[in-house]
Amino acid sequence: MTRVYDLSGVWGYILGLTIMMVGASVGLFAVGCAGFSGRRGGWSEERVEALEPEVRGAYRLFALRCSRCHTLARPLSSGITDPAHWRNYVDRMRRMPGSGISATEAKQVLVFLEYYAAQERSKRRRNDTSADKNIDEL
Amino acid sequence: MELKGFDMNCREDDSESCEADKGKKSAPTGDKWGKLPSQPVFTGALTIVGLLVGVGGAWAIDVRSNMAGSVQLDYLHVFDADSARDFVFDGFTTELSLKLVTDFGDRTSAHVKVCYGCHGFEIGMAYVDFWLLDELSVRVGRMNPRFGDFPLRHDPANHRANSKPLPYDMGRMLRRAEWNNGILPIPYVDNGIEVYGTYWFNDRMAVDYAIHAVSGLKGNNDAFDIDFVQSRSPSLYYIDNNSQPSVGGRLAVTINIGNYTTLTTGASGIHGFYDPAATQSYLILGIDTHLKMDALVLRAEVLLRRTEFGIPDEPGAFRFDTQGRTKDFFIKQGFLAEVEYPFSEWLEIFARVDGLRRIGNLATNSPLRGESAVLRYTNGINLVVHRSLRLKLSTEIWDFSDFRDEVVAHVGVAGHF
Repeated sequence: MTRVYDLSGVWGYILGLTIMMVGASVGLFAVGCAGFSGRRGGWSEERVEALEPEVRGAYRLFALRCSRCHTLARPLSSGITDPAHWRNYVDRMRRMPGSGISATEAKQVLVFLEYYAAQERSKRRRNDTSADKNIDEL
Repeated sequence: MELKGFDMNCREDDSESCEADKGKKSAPTGDKWGKLPSQPVFTGALTIVGLLVGVGGAWAIDVRSNMAGSVQLDYLHVFDADSARDFVFDGFTTELSLKLVTDFGDRTSAHVKVCYGCHGFEIGMAYVDFWLLDELSVRVGRMNPRFGDFPLRHDPANHRANSKPLPYDMGRMLRRAEWNNGILPIPYVDNGIEVYGTYWFNDRMAVDYAIHAVSGLKGNNDAFDIDFVQSRSPSLYYIDNNSQPSVGGRLAVTINIGNYTTLTTGASGIHGFYDPAATQSYLILGIDTHLKMDALVLRAEVLLRRTEFGIPDEPGAFRFDTQGRTKDFFIKQGFLAEVEYPFSEWLEIFARVDGLRRIGNLATNSPLRGESAVLRYTNGINLVVHRSLRLKLSTEIWDFSDFRDEVVAHVGVAGHF
């Protein structure tokens, strides 16, 4: 059977290296455009340092424990804004094997998540208000 | 029918506000969820959750739902191979998962996960969790029975490598057919019940346990090995093939050392029969350890599967004599050791060594030997483009005892939402 293209031998290496280099370049470019998000998919160090001491400590515990099985982007992108929902969520995660989150620590983690939920709620309210204004202007 | 505090957690960019939904009687609508796939499996899963939401509403308890998902597109290239397709599924593969979790009050939750991968759409989870005490919870339905450490983060958005470790490989390893995958292909999904819990001695030390009874892995009578396709495929129905539940469990200790270090060490086991006659058993054992020192993570696992095979009537079916004491089973061993570290906010690196060894009798036409092994050395980087999106690049060197060694490269994009 005649092959349309041959990826074996030296051509395979060249293609593979090209894919890697193009991929890395695109990735670095995208990183440069998007900006950093923070280690383990969480917040940037500058943003963490700007927090109140109690919330900062709670964030660090959240970052340590919750990055064991998944990136921090999971909870931070969950869209949860209801504190009661966060309590259910953390209770479920706490019961995951090896989570290392004791009942005392779960309360500390919730200090950050409730702060985060309040932030998200106010952001959402601002977005709604500005969307309403745009509609009015139209 | 009062449905208190229903919050579907609409996203920031949703047109409807979650705040506005609070306290109202409402249910997810097609508009809010967008256009759904028409696959019956997905529709069925949503129907189940819809019914549970209805039941929760009838009991006037707080019902809160949250949807999450992940996707990975990966390209695998084998260097210097004339026809890699003969021994691996190279090229592009996509893994997608969509998960809906609904909490009914504080102690009950329903989980439905739909996965799309090489096999098309499948239900990866459909279970209900009852949390009675920290030390006692019950899970019933279609679930991932607990085993080992890696299965906890088998979702491609949750691990740094493009591929799964060899002991847990499901279909993407080189020489997959000859090796019949790894030891316990993940995700291991089965129907049954699991009882589990955690006992905290203090804030520093906890013991986790889990005991399950499920349908079990499947295969044919007089088969040489477990048939992992049959084990997960609906072609022979999602039912037990031999009326003999498979039982297993896991026991693990977690210690928080200081403020930044957590160590978990566990042992797992599964035992069952895979053939319809329930005469050919399998026993899977594993030990695992996971050390997290702030951002640095070290993991290691060792697994073993002892699998009995049938002795067919026809002579010459096996490579070696089948009369001896140890001639009707084989042992497959596997290990993995990996390290990962986020160097910066946008660069994470990882390295992994894993392998498999198979010892025992085998089919006459098998290209393996009485003792065969494969070792793989993997290293790679993750470029964090956005907190929910990463570019995964890795290379793997495969060292086979019975085949030519290979070098492969993966380029993948993984994201979650």
